Amino acid sequence: MNVQVGQELPELVKHPTTRQLVQYAGAQGDFYEIHYDQAYAQSVALPGVILHGLLKAAFLGQLVTDWLGDRGSLKTFEVSYRGIDQPGRPYCCRGRVTKVEGDQVELEVWGEDSDSNRTTLGTATVEMTS
Amino acid sequence: MSATVSVVHRLRARIGVVAPPTEATVEAGHLKRFAEAIGDPNTRWTSEAPPTFLIALAPVSLHLAEAEEYGKGWLNGGNRFEYFEPVKVGDRITATGRVADVYEKTGSSGSLLFIIFETDYVNQHGRTVARLRGTAIRR
Repeated sequence: MNVQVGQELPELVKHPTTRQLVQYAGAQGDFYEIHYDQAYAQSVALPGVILHGLLKAAFLGQLVTDWLGDRGSLKTFEVSYRGIDQPGRPYCCRGRVTKVEGDQVELEVWGEDSDSNRTTLGTATVEMTS
Repeated sequence: MSATVSVVHRLRARIGVVAPPTEATVEAGHLKRFAEAIGDPNTRWTSEAPPTFLIALAPVSLHLAEAEEYGKGWLNGGNRFEYFEPVKVGDRITATGRVADVYEKTGSSGSLLFIIFETDYVNQHGRTVARLRGTAIRR
């Protein structure tokens, strides 16, 4: 098992669009208007439509599963949404290994907006099998 | 202000309330649409659920109408998933949600209402495949 504390996960950059937000709204079944209706979003004091928190979680999930591959399985995955993100701006997912104990590995993951603000913070634990 | 206090009190009375279970089968077409929507091309997701899929599969109908008397809108504060077994195409999943906690926090930019939901996902063999804890915020 070639995993060490401090190791960084390969960066994953996403380019969310309003089209993707509509696509995600349909796939998840979350039709809250702040994700596709600009006027509604502004009426609740947002700058415009924003990404679903769970879409950002899915991006971070991909960061972890791309890195993990078939070397193990995901045991816990936690995300906390600290800021809003708007479509049309790149969203960069990053992470690093924070703890290795036997076959148990802990990761810190986060999503950054184009100004390098960490708008989503998370952790994951995985059990390595190889 | 007293109206707001009363909303918090009424919602706190809902702690422990369990929503009617919802059931759904993991379908290949839904997995495909979900993977496309999140932009994840991993072929593994043609037969297995990606990490956040369960929320899309079986939305828990725990609508707390009175929460909408508080603030202007909803925000998702966070989600915590715990996984016990993989979820595959054809699995029949039953989701049971409950209100785990309700509290108010006052910060520099005003007051926020936090509602914590917990959902258990059980497969057709009666085995719990995952547990979700979600934080919904009224602002």
